[in-house]
Amino acid sequence: MEKRIDHVFEQKESRINIFITAGYPQINSLPDIAKELINQGVNIIEIGMPSSDPLAEGEAIQKASAIALSNGITMDLIFNQAAEIRKFSSSIPLIIMGYFNQLLQFGVAPFLQQCAKAGVDGLIIPDLPMEVYQQKYRRLFAQYQVKISFLITPQTSEQRIKLLDIACTSFLYIVSDNSLTGANASGFSAVQIKYFKRIQKMKLSSPTMIGFGISSKKMVEEANKYSNGAIIGSAFIKAVEKNEEVRFIDKII
Amino acid sequence: MRQLKVKVCGNTEANNLQQVCSLNPDYVGFIFYDESKRLVESPAFVPKVEGCKAKRVGVFVNVSVRFIQKKVRDYKLDIIQLHGDETHGFCQKVSKVKPVFKAFQVHNNFNFRSLSAYLPVCSKFLFDTSSATYGGSGKKFDWNMLNNYTIDKPFFLSGGIGPEDAQKIRKLNHPMLMGIDVNSRFETEPGIKNIEVLSLFITTVTRVNSKHPTKDGFYGAFGGAFIPEMLHKNVEELKANYLTILASKSYQNELAGLLKNYVGRPTPLYKAKNLSTKYGVTIFLKREDLNHTGAHKINNALGQILLAIKMGKTSIIAETGAGQHGVATATACALFGLPCKVFMGELDIERQAPNVARMKMLGAEVIPATSGSKTLKDATNEAIRYWIANPETYYLIGSVVGPHPYPDLVARLQAVISKEIKEQLNTENNIEQPDYVIACVGGGSNAAGAFYHFIDNEDVKLVAVEAAGKGVHSGKSAATFQLGSVGVIHGNKTLVMQTSEGQIIEPFSISAGLDYPGIGPMLAELLTNKRGIGLDATDAEALVAAELLTRLEGIIPALESAHAIAALEKIQFNPTDTVVINLSGRGDKDMATYMKHFKNGKKNRPRI
Repeated sequence: MEKRIDHVFEQKESRINIFITAGYPQINSLPDIAKELINQGVNIIEIGMPSSDPLAEGEAIQKASAIALSNGITMDLIFNQAAEIRKFSSSIPLIIMGYFNQLLQFGVAPFLQQCAKAGVDGLIIPDLPMEVYQQKYRRLFAQYQVKISFLITPQTSEQRIKLLDIACTSFLYIVSDNSLTGANASGFSAVQIKYFKRIQKMKLSSPTMIGFGISSKKMVEEANKYSNGAIIGSAFIKAVEKNEEVRFIDKII
Repeated sequence: MRQLKVKVCGNTEANNLQQVCSLNPDYVGFIFYDESKRLVESPAFVPKVEGCKAKRVGVFVNVSVRFIQKKVRDYKLDIIQLHGDETHGFCQKVSKVKPVFKAFQVHNNFNFRSLSAYLPVCSKFLFDTSSATYGGSGKKFDWNMLNNYTIDKPFFLSGGIGPEDAQKIRKLNHPMLMGIDVNSRFETEPGIKNIEVLSLFITTVTRVNSKHPTKDGFYGAFGGAFIPEMLHKNVEELKANYLTILASKSYQNELAGLLKNYVGRPTPLYKAKNLSTKYGVTIFLKREDLNHTGAHKINNALGQILLAIKMGKTSIIAETGAGQHGVATATACALFGLPCKVFMGELDIERQAPNVARMKMLGAEVIPATSGSKTLKDATNEAIRYWIANPETYYLIGSVVGPHPYPDLVARLQAVISKEIKEQLNTENNIEQPDYVIACVGGGSNAAGAFYHFIDNEDVKLVAVEAAGKGVHSGKSAATFQLGSVGVIHGNKTLVMQTSEGQIIEPFSISAGLDYPGIGPMLAELLTNKRGIGLDATDAEALVAAELLTRLEGIIPALESAHAIAALEKIQFNPTDTVVINLSGRGDKDMATYMKHFKNGKKNRPRI
């Protein structure tokens, strides 16, 4: 079994996970952007599977998703492009982020099979509740050796965090604020830092990464201080829009 | 009622058995009795149906244990059915091989008490019609005999059950009846089942009427709560509180008072004489259009705002399509002094201007949804996004959609419609029950409310009318039941108009309240399991119906409700039928659309 996710969290001191919407800005942009990111030292690539109705996304990713869909991106193409990234790097963890309906239509088992075939290590499915995963899909994920992340929010109770930690087979995604993706701009507030510390103190068995609203080097460093890494989505998408993705990564790493 | 099990017996052929298995029966039976026309002689076809989930039952008549053992091995049988004169001692021996179903032939003097010796050695009983040939007569016994069966052992009903018996079986309601055994009456020739007829029968006989969801919010295969973690706490909080609060005396009194004195309930059940004459049937209109704010939506808005207040919430958000729910919510917020934000598609803001003005005057902030098709679906997305970012607010959903418990909550609050229909038919009209209840369906709240108290009464036909837009297959339609497939939208699993990649297809209808690409899970289940009848009406048909009702009865309906009126053209009624149409809203908000339509001259105008 491939242990790329485990290795990333074992080896490095700080980590950056960059989210890219597949099919954006051009239908075939993903592999080239990903290769660039890997060369620049990014530690995890999160591939966003565009949805017509992305409930948890803010404007930047909504817009990128709509453009990607009008470019004609499909799940099959995404798997092909993931496989191309995998050929380029045998060690970079690849995560797909998508909505449960996309898996349902593809068929959950065929989807996981394609993940395994393309070298995709894990999934983030925000609207697949942990309970449903545990009851119906845990075995299937294990069978295809695809890992799963769960989200934690400022509202999640300590007891529930423990359950999410147990169910999680990848990293736990700490949602930095009650917000959609891309909502924040400047830095973390005192309330947010207190929340990160609270989770840090729980000494969870899964690694954690902080995401939503991260856009600066300072925030990346803070996220790495209070968890095992930072996830950047909207800020990177905005940089891609301006053709400034290389400079953006240079600035935050 | 619980779900009946189905056993399909007398299978003899591989392809046909494969098709039978695709209908998901609980048991499939093979007959090993020499005298039977459905005798199975070779196990060759058994491996071909490996994927079948049904348990395999071998049927034997007065043979040796060794014979049975061999067949169990050869055919991988799960259950042994003894259909002859086997003693309880013999059953005991066989029960060591596999569980035993013991069949008894019930004749007019049958004494059920004589079965007690078989109790400990048989897993189930099966009651068949008495005949010289150990069953297979194709005839039924007198099912009234079952009233004498009081033993604590589940049984299958067998003997001559045919396609026409589905409703009768559903009404049997015997506490020990666990399933039915069908065979010869569903065949094209001995041993070959008629799949089409069998399919409809199994769907009808096994359906569980879905007025209430399971504790996880499922109506059959539909419902649940597929929500991001950010909404978990909110939805759990609502789930933990809504039933207790709805059942409390103080809540009920307060809501009843508001519905009576503020909304104007009960709304009349009006016998529409001219419309009745035109269609040659008795038609009643449930006048939800006469509610304060002009539609049924206020029933739900007041119910939920009282709930929100009891839960300590201090601000309200809502989505709206035609603006009726937005107006109802803004009204409730004005009444209780709570701040209110209403999300509304940009396109709908344009075509429902009067309602936008009303919301603003009521003090609500109307926030345009500018993504996607800029209609109800997108307004719902935006409302959910706002809720994610502001979890302290209360999301007052307007239809029987969204994550559990919303569909159940809204259905319960709209159920007042069918409760009144029932009472008004009984007391004012001396009619025990309607033959039809007809309602339009977008998300489905007025339909859920109009159907609710009739769901258990299968004599009442429930007709849901979808918006077909420019035609079901025109590419511009909102006929979700016909065009949708199982998917997840706005937090519940239901029928969704979508591509093979799971992307939502933009719906279309002239009526802003019906162009939704999903359908409430309760209605998805009612229509799928054939408890409800799904019809559709196009934009043009709805316009004709709207004018017809206006000119015949002096009632201008909302465009949404006009779809329900349009269904009158599509149903073959008996002259003695009683038809209730839920007139969900009034047409004031649609006057601009109607006026534009009349300018077109004689096209799509009714003959009055």
